[in-house]
Amino acid sequence: MSANALDLRGLRAGYGRYDVLRDVDLQVAPGEAVGLLGPNGAGKTTLLRAVMGLVKHRTGVISIAGTDVVRMPAHKIARGLAALVPEGRRLFVDQPIEDNLLLGALHLRRDKARVSELLESVYALFPVLRDVRNRPAGALSGGQQQMVAIGRMLMSDPTVLLLDEPSLGLAPIAIGEVAEALERLREEGRSILVVEQRVDLALRMCDRIYVLAGGEVALEEQARALGEDGRALIDAYLG
Amino acid sequence: MQVLLSGLAIGAIYGLVAMGFAIAFYVTRVINFAEGQLLMVGVMVAAWFARTGLDPWIAIVLGILAAAAVGAVTYLVAVRPVLAFDRFSFAWLVSTLGVALILENGAALVWGPTSRSFPALLTGTSVHVGSATLTLQEVVTIGVAIAAAIGFELYRRRTLFGKLGMAIAHDPEMATALGANTVLVATAAFALAGAFAGLAGVLIGPITYSNPYLGDTYGIAGFVALMIGGTSRPAAAMAGGLLLGILGEAANKLIDTQASDWFPFVVVVVMLLVLPEGLLSLAAPFRRAVRRARAPAGATG
Ligand SMILES: Nc1ncnc2c1ncn2[C@@H]1O[C@H](COP(=O)(O)OP(=O)(O)O)[C@@H](O)[C@H]1O
Ligand SMILES: [Mg+2]
Repeated sequence: MSANALDLRGLRAGYGRYDVLRDVDLQVAPGEAVGLLGPNGAGKTTLLRAVMGLVKHRTGVISIAGTDVVRMPAHKIARGLAALVPEGRRLFVDQPIEDNLLLGALHLRRDKARVSELLESVYALFPVLRDVRNRPAGALSGGQQQMVAIGRMLMSDPTVLLLDEPSLGLAPIAIGEVAEALERLREEGRSILVVEQRVDLALRMCDRIYVLAGGEVALEEQARALGEDGRALIDAYLG
Repeated sequence: MQVLLSGLAIGAIYGLVAMGFAIAFYVTRVINFAEGQLLMVGVMVAAWFARTGLDPWIAIVLGILAAAAVGAVTYLVAVRPVLAFDRFSFAWLVSTLGVALILENGAALVWGPTSRSFPALLTGTSVHVGSATLTLQEVVTIGVAIAAAIGFELYRRRTLFGKLGMAIAHDPEMATALGANTVLVATAAFALAGAFAGLAGVLIGPITYSNPYLGDTYGIAGFVALMIGGTSRPAAAMAGGLLLGILGEAANKLIDTQASDWFPFVVVVVMLLVLPEGLLSLAAPFRRAVRRARAPAGATG
């Protein structure tokens, strides 16, 4: 059996003395798209940040394609193991789009051919970015900025893709475009963990769903198995 | 004309030190209060090697390298530990001042507290520009400083490492999440900042001679130049330095021959009252307008 793309076992993580996550078990199989839902403050962002190594206090197992990263410094995890579209995108708004993308491929900088190949694949996924590639990222619309953030994540050619509420604050059309892009990545066989507050979107984009509440996994289920009843169930957790 | 050119020559020195402050601050948000002492390290080490009979040009290069090395060590010893303990700590204020004191007193201990010679390579030749006369040293100083400012700016915008520096300046945690080793980049920034100060040192050395207390004067002038230029981009600090140099020379001429000793303080007070974000803040409204004009219609949602 091949290793999971992402495997969390007994993960505890938090800030200072206080654990936000308590004994979280969560897996993303290779090629699987997993949705992470839960009310505000449940610890979803903390979970993604813990995988990236951005949360200092973390214990348990965090394994990416069989590599234990729980003690690995963040900048090493970022070199092809995991990549993140963070809450609020956090683009380098003063710098051109293309520089934002190239900064995603820092660890591949010596392999120029690979970098231009990845850049081409990002422009193939989001053709509109090619035309504006020399504009400062801050000059784009929210939807296009989210495309840049997703593109920057893809530029590091990571084993597991992490997205924190990619639809948040976007206009309906932009949400559709982002969801479509994620479905494309899923079809390409990427391993994805996406935090998504909108249940309908999560069920559409994902193979499997986890609901996180109070720092613990409250529900784990195949998206397919969750019909209208499941939605009601999830809604109950989301409060 | 003489005031203008002499002002540019001394202002170029202030500008290099100011850029040193700015480069380190740009990447780390830390003011290295030992920046002036790095100029002194450049002067002292170059003078010392020159006294041993080494070729003066090689001594000068070694002086610059020594300043860069001490800059890097300053980050690793005095800045990184306090920031690792608490990212928002202001303890670097004290720790870099501590480094300044150690360097100054250490240099006085090793090389003695009095001024000693510095290799004069270009001071003997005069260059006439219109009615004004400069030494070749001053002409080279102006040229080197402007080339350093332009070179840095090109490097910052055109190379991946420069772009990474900008990214770290903007959002260090996000840069880390993209694989940046922020400690390495910050150390490099402090080293480059040291090299700028060292460069300033070997350029002014033939005029000031080597003296362990040089760091005070030039550190303060460089800091004032940084205030004038603002911290939004390091090259602006060079503009601040050149302006301060010209103002100081004018004050010497018009007010009192020693006026440039206290004049920087007057300038900085006025600056902070009138333009707290530095000279470049004058241009900000224009830049915002340009950005708005370039943004696509309906740039929301
Ligand atoms: N940097 C931080 N320092 C201290 N506590 C934090 C920090 N970030 C988040 N928290 C706390 O951790 C808990 C979980 O937050 P978060 O992971 O952002 O939840 P979610 O993304 O599910 O809304 C919240 O109670 C929040 O207040
Ligand atoms: Mg969140």
